[in-house]
Amino acid sequence: MSFEMWAEKYRPKTLDDMVNQKEIVERLKSFVKSRNVPHCIFAGPPGTGKTTAALCLARDLYGEAYREHIMELNASDERGIDVVRETVKTFARIRSIGEVPFKIMILDEADNMTADAQQALRRTMERYTETCRFILCANYSGKIIEPIQSRCAPFRFTYLPREEHDKYLRYIAANEDINLSEEGLDAIFEVCGGDLRRAINTLQAAASLGKLIDAKIVYSIAGRANPADVQKMIETAMKGNFLEARKQLRDMIQKYGVAGSDIIRQIHTEIFRTTIPEPWKIKLADIVGEIDYRLVEGADEEVQLSALLARLVEAAHEMKGAEKV
Amino acid sequence: MYHPWTVKYKPKTLKEVVGNREAIQKFVEWVKSWNKGIPKKRAAFLYGPPGIGKTVTVEALANDLKMELVEKNASDYRTEEAVKRFAGLASQYSSLFGTKRIILFDELDGLTGTADKGGVKAITDIIKTAQCPIVLVANSAYDPRFINLRNYCLLIEFKKPSSTDVLKHLKAICLKEGIKAEENALKFIAQRSEGDIRSAVNDLQALAQGKKHLTYDDVSWLGYRDRQETIFTVLRMILYGRTCEGAKRAVNMADVDIDMLFEWIYENVPAHLTDPHDLARAMDALSMADVYRGRIRSTQDWSFVRYVIDFMTAGVAMARVNTKPSGWTPFHFPGRVQMLSRSKGERAMQLEIGRKVKRRCHISATRASKEVLPYLRIIFKNNVEMAAGLAKWLDLSPEMIEYLAENKEKAEAINKLLS
Ligand SMILES: Nc1ncnc2c1ncn2[C@@H]1O[C@H](COP(=O)(O)OP(=O)(O)OP(=O)(O)O)[C@@H](O)[C@H]1O
Ligand SMILES: Nc1ncnc2c1ncn2[C@@H]1O[C@H](COP(=O)(O)OP(=O)(O)OP(=O)(O)O)[C@@H](O)[C@H]1O
Ligand SMILES: [Mg+2]
Ligand SMILES: [Mg+2]
Repeated sequence: MSFEMWAEKYRPKTLDDMVNQKEIVERLKSFVKSRNVPHCIFAGPPGTGKTTAALCLARDLYGEAYREHIMELNASDERGIDVVRETVKTFARIRSIGEVPFKIMILDEADNMTADAQQALRRTMERYTETCRFILCANYSGKIIEPIQSRCAPFRFTYLPREEHDKYLRYIAANEDINLSEEGLDAIFEVCGGDLRRAINTLQAAASLGKLIDAKIVYSIAGRANPADVQKMIETAMKGNFLEARKQLRDMIQKYGVAGSDIIRQIHTEIFRTTIPEPWKIKLADIVGEIDYRLVEGADEEVQLSALLARLVEAAHEMKGAEKV
Repeated sequence: MYHPWTVKYKPKTLKEVVGNREAIQKFVEWVKSWNKGIPKKRAAFLYGPPGIGKTVTVEALANDLKMELVEKNASDYRTEEAVKRFAGLASQYSSLFGTKRIILFDELDGLTGTADKGGVKAITDIIKTAQCPIVLVANSAYDPRFINLRNYCLLIEFKKPSSTDVLKHLKAICLKEGIKAEENALKFIAQRSEGDIRSAVNDLQALAQGKKHLTYDDVSWLGYRDRQETIFTVLRMILYGRTCEGAKRAVNMADVDIDMLFEWIYENVPAHLTDPHDLARAMDALSMADVYRGRIRSTQDWSFVRYVIDFMTAGVAMARVNTKPSGWTPFHFPGRVQMLSRSKGERAMQLEIGRKVKRRCHISATRASKEVLPYLRIIFKNNVEMAAGLAKWLDLSPEMIEYLAENKEKAEAINKLLS
């Protein structure tokens, strides 16, 4: 057993090693061949290989010393306009020495950049196109401003299909000499939904408990890693206990750092799973949609989501009233 | 088990008593003078505000001079008869075993009402003929009931210790508890206590017990406590307001800023608007107020604040349709504010670990601290070997290891593998 984060250890090094995302990989390989890369946006859900693809492309293009020709900047940590102005510009304007005449700037998690910073970036991209190409990685391309989108070639990453996912995890399990059962694999896919980073992290955390990995262990890992029990919170609200539901919400956000957008997505899913009368489901979906919209505009996730909880309390109360009539 | 720090760190000798050096000196000299014969005043009357060490001084002195302390509080001597029972004790300086005796009538102002009139007189009588030092303690010596009594006493005033003195005491406690406290945090507690060491120590325990670090943010919210009276009035105007105008006016009265007022309302709405429809309406109003806060932030146009105010005050007031005001419902300090300041240190630690992950894993520190850290926790709790390997690979500090393992022994085992 080795002691790195497996997600890193098994991160593909070249485009050829990448799993799935076939068309994307093919196009990127053609860039390498022609020694020319346009500005790109890699968009798609987490853990599907966006950052990996950017790094593989760089390595295939520049060879082992690729680090000298690229810069990785993570917008979630440095969101401000100053970073774009200073760091990006300084990097972008100095010409690369070597057979490839440009450098590559990987702007990871770019959807977390402020609008200002993106505006600044737009000019930089234009001015230094000759010396520097940008690859923006993002979960939502919608959060990238139009002018930048129009300057980039778009690439849509999708969750890995089941077979590819399984093959990859089996390969890791065999390599690490652990026994991953079929049910265990099913469970991982269920809880991670094709997010490979999460899947691999789950596998490694499970392996820290023992060599045999079955569904039970996977669920217990998932439960401990994501204490966001949205289902329970909804139940609490529907029982009329607003204060307790708000407390659960608060814990999710503050203690475990679950993102508001994640919570509302799960609430949306849950609503269609519960056993309330069918017409109510669509009424609630409307409420969820409204709050989802406010979440983007508002200042505070807990305030918005607890307003939603209050609406759930109200709805459950009305449903009960209707039953009695 | 709850063990109050005021008891745990109660001074045992006079050296440990903070402040009031002159008063203590005067008191000690008077007690010692008994060895040379009965002094002019047979009683000492120590007076001063609560929690500054009057009682403790008497106890510490008895301990230092190896005297036998007979300690009585008001409940022991409410009536004349009750006091007279101590007359015998006061008639001798040395006890049977040769130790010197000192009698303390503590909390003298606890005597109230006419029933106790006789009590004060009986004490005065005992003093007149006392053969051993008598000590009286009260918050004020100038209560009319004590006019006559005072004539027979050496008056010793205890003053509030300076906040520097209080600070010294708090520091000493932190040192013994192994708490690293920011100077600012302790200063804040000391100043807030206004010389009342007892309350300062109580505050410190409430805020710091079980912590390794105490920061200014952990304590600063305490400041709001003093202003609770006005904030309660403001909340009442909003949560029970009948007109929009009235509810909106409350904002001018509040001496907290808009965001803090929002927190107070947000915290207290559910308990005061219990009808599900009212609650949903009120929370919706707060949600809209928050949307306008978001708009202020994104446009930097502060004139939108008037809509924030509309929704958080009038909007909440108008939400009440079905809920009847029912008796007395308490107001609570915003739980979120408390929690935020408490968990701040923890989030800093998570982010530090996130940064280490970032250096290796091509993911932002922000996301790593949320998405990768939970898995690390599981590994560090369950597999010492794998944890040690990862700790090395990620270059984690011993503090980080302990944080992830949530357990000292585990952390030590991991560190051992590392060295
Ligand atoms: N297509 C893929 N092929 C092989 N491994 C993958 C692929 N996608 C993800 N992985 C694995 O998952 C880990 C995370 O992938 P990567 O960093 O590329 O995700 P991402 O798409 O950038 O996600 P995020 O949006 O969270 O940044 C990698 O280290 C790798 O182990
Ligand atoms: N000067 C001091 N030095 C150190 N600790 C003190 C001091 N004053 C108070 N304390 C702490 O506060 C506790 C209460 O002090 P003490 O009983 O002496 O107060 P007091 O002045 O007698 O107040 P009250 O008038 O309310 O009886 C002590 O047990 C001790 O922990
Ligand atoms: Mg990425
Ligand atoms: Mg006392």
